[in-house]
Amino acid sequence: MTQRHSTRGAWLIMLASLITIAICVYDYYTPETGLIGTGGVITVAVAGALMLMASLTMGLVANRGCFLQGFLVVSILLDIIGSSVAGYFLESPVIMAAQALALIGWLINVIGDAAERSVEIDEVEDED
Amino acid sequence: MKIRNFVLGALGLAAAAAAVTLVPMQHATAQGGNSDPAQTWDAFGGNQQAQKYSTATQITPDNVKGLKMAWEFHTGDVSSGAHSTTWGATPLFANNTVYTGTPKYNIFAVEPDTGKMKWKYSANGNNGDENQGLKNRGVAYWAAANPTAGACQKMVYIGTMTGELHGVDADSGKPCAGFGKNGVVDVNAWATKNSKWKIGLIQPPAVYKDTLILGWAGNDWVYKTENPGTVYGIDARTGALKWTFNIIPDDMMDQTGTANVWAGISVDPETGLAFLPTSSPSPNYYGGDRLKEMPYATATVAVNAETGEVKWARQLVHHDIWDVDINSAPTLVDIKKDGQVIPALIQANKMGLMVVLNRNTGEPVWPIVERAYPASDIAGEVASKTQPFVPYPEPLVAEHMPPVSKLADILSFGECSRWKARIRDEGRYTPPSVRGSISWPATLGGVEWGGGALDPTTNTYVVNSNLVPQIYTLVPRADADKKYGNALRARDGYAAQQGSAYGFKLENFLNMWGMPCWAPPYGIMSSYDMNSGKLLWRKPVGQVQKWGFYMPESWGSITIGAPAITKSGLVFIGASMDSRVRAIDVKTGNILWKHIVDAPAVAQPAVYTYKGKQYVAFAAGGNGILTPRLSDQLVAFALPN
Repeated sequence: MTQRHSTRGAWLIMLASLITIAICVYDYYTPETGLIGTGGVITVAVAGALMLMASLTMGLVANRGCFLQGFLVVSILLDIIGSSVAGYFLESPVIMAAQALALIGWLINVIGDAAERSVEIDEVEDED
Repeated sequence: MKIRNFVLGALGLAAAAAAVTLVPMQHATAQGGNSDPAQTWDAFGGNQQAQKYSTATQITPDNVKGLKMAWEFHTGDVSSGAHSTTWGATPLFANNTVYTGTPKYNIFAVEPDTGKMKWKYSANGNNGDENQGLKNRGVAYWAAANPTAGACQKMVYIGTMTGELHGVDADSGKPCAGFGKNGVVDVNAWATKNSKWKIGLIQPPAVYKDTLILGWAGNDWVYKTENPGTVYGIDARTGALKWTFNIIPDDMMDQTGTANVWAGISVDPETGLAFLPTSSPSPNYYGGDRLKEMPYATATVAVNAETGEVKWARQLVHHDIWDVDINSAPTLVDIKKDGQVIPALIQANKMGLMVVLNRNTGEPVWPIVERAYPASDIAGEVASKTQPFVPYPEPLVAEHMPPVSKLADILSFGECSRWKARIRDEGRYTPPSVRGSISWPATLGGVEWGGGALDPTTNTYVVNSNLVPQIYTLVPRADADKKYGNALRARDGYAAQQGSAYGFKLENFLNMWGMPCWAPPYGIMSSYDMNSGKLLWRKPVGQVQKWGFYMPESWGSITIGAPAITKSGLVFIGASMDSRVRAIDVKTGNILWKHIVDAPAVAQPAVYTYKGKQYVAFAAGGNGILTPRLSDQLVAFALPN
């Protein structure tokens, strides 16, 4: 059963994922970064691409099932955690900063969604 | 520090006397006519004493954080794959020019303040006949003490892996017609005994007055008999052979070979003694066919630089069956001890021992004891019952390898501990065996071929070293031939040792994920007060980088390359896997500055001053042992104007 979920924060996550992908591409091709040609930045870039798809879904598909909503929330959080850890070991402050941005977007979405659920419940209770 | 200061204070008279002797030692390096002769870098080891020391004081611990890239120069000489390049050159600064050689055997002369190319000379050594890939550790520089009119009064030399030594005019880059045949000496033509390969002139020669002292690199793990490791004294002007020194005794030349000098050579400009670090005889890992003593092998040998006559020799590994070559130019030091000044040398080595010898006599400054070590269980092999051991100054490597890494063991489901349980491990000098033996330390050091650096004003010595066990397995000839046929080498670490009873397999002690099976650190830097022999500090150096991920600094990194030290109290070093160059506070070992370069800088940097500005230059060439990342970048750093 689908219901309306919050789309707030999704665009921030999308921005963070685009920053992640961009910095990974830059790192992969730039000798001065010390990460040129490394598998680590490819991994983070792939994670950024997955985050981009998830955030697009979150932002564009407001009416989605509970399973999809749960999947998006959990997978984006895992992506943020994984990319943050990777960014730490890649010693890339930009990747870590982008994940902080994504985390803010994620929190906005989760809190916004909870607030919307709360309003909906209140409305249902008022109708009762 | 207090103790050191006390000692220095108490020995003030001796220190003053030493200062008098130090001045000529430093100025002896000045052959380039620079305005600031003490701040040249005209030899692989900074000077011929292999001290890697600069009197420059512009860059200090207080301002080093502001160090910026001044210039970079790409030689274009880099390749990966079957013929990958290994570039461990130390750029030279002499004759108001920075010179470097490349692994494709070109010499580049560049402006010291801009990195712009002045000239290029191609030795055309890249003809596919190389015996160890494309390798180079730079160039040598010579200047006539009494120059005459005309060219080639200052020369730059580069060797090739095809056994040619090229000599060119330092001003123009044109070949010196009077040197060999049109600027080329065919050293390979002198090395005909048991010749299997053209000898590899990786390491630039040492220079003493008008003599070049030249060793070479070979393959000592492929055949039982190889070229015997002869060292050549060559006339710097004409290329004529002045003398030879044979490390292998004549009656052993049909049983073995190599024991060559493939690393740097240092020279005492006052006594004219050249100090040769000699390697192990062939084949590296089975000595059943070469049981007779060869006192010059795996030794430090002092010879007269102008005649090749042996003054003394000190064997540091008896009957080497571990490939623990003496692998770096000894660093010369005047030790102030017990009210005397002792002319000494430091030969930190692959076994992680701090050997300190009187350089005029070869006698140890601190005792060398003969310590009992395990016997071989291989038929026909007789490992030496004892080996030289130096308990003080404190060794760089402990007697036994560290415990198995719990993390690596858990993540490999116990692979590391199971592997270690089934192989032989009796600590340092465990002989190679058929079931496999832990070699600790192994051929990767201890100390690698750069050696250490010395501040001769304080006698502070810093040296980087590796903590790496490897697995040595002898493969009976029949099994080896069955599995590998006539192959001389294989990707799994096999080396044929053809002609002997055993092939050999070298494995890194890594788990299925490529993680080291032993606990870190993997690389350290140590600082000693060489007047007292006291260890001042020891810290991990560098970072392991795998797939781009940096491991904790506390793990350190395997390093290939060496430090340079400055009078202002800084140590500069690249050498680590993470392609970073660093400045370290010599007093504390703390890292004060780091910068990413294109590949690991696997040689010591050069520190020089030009037009009043101090530069630190690295050749960031890389080395496949550390990481696949290779480059052709020559880069210099300086403080902004």
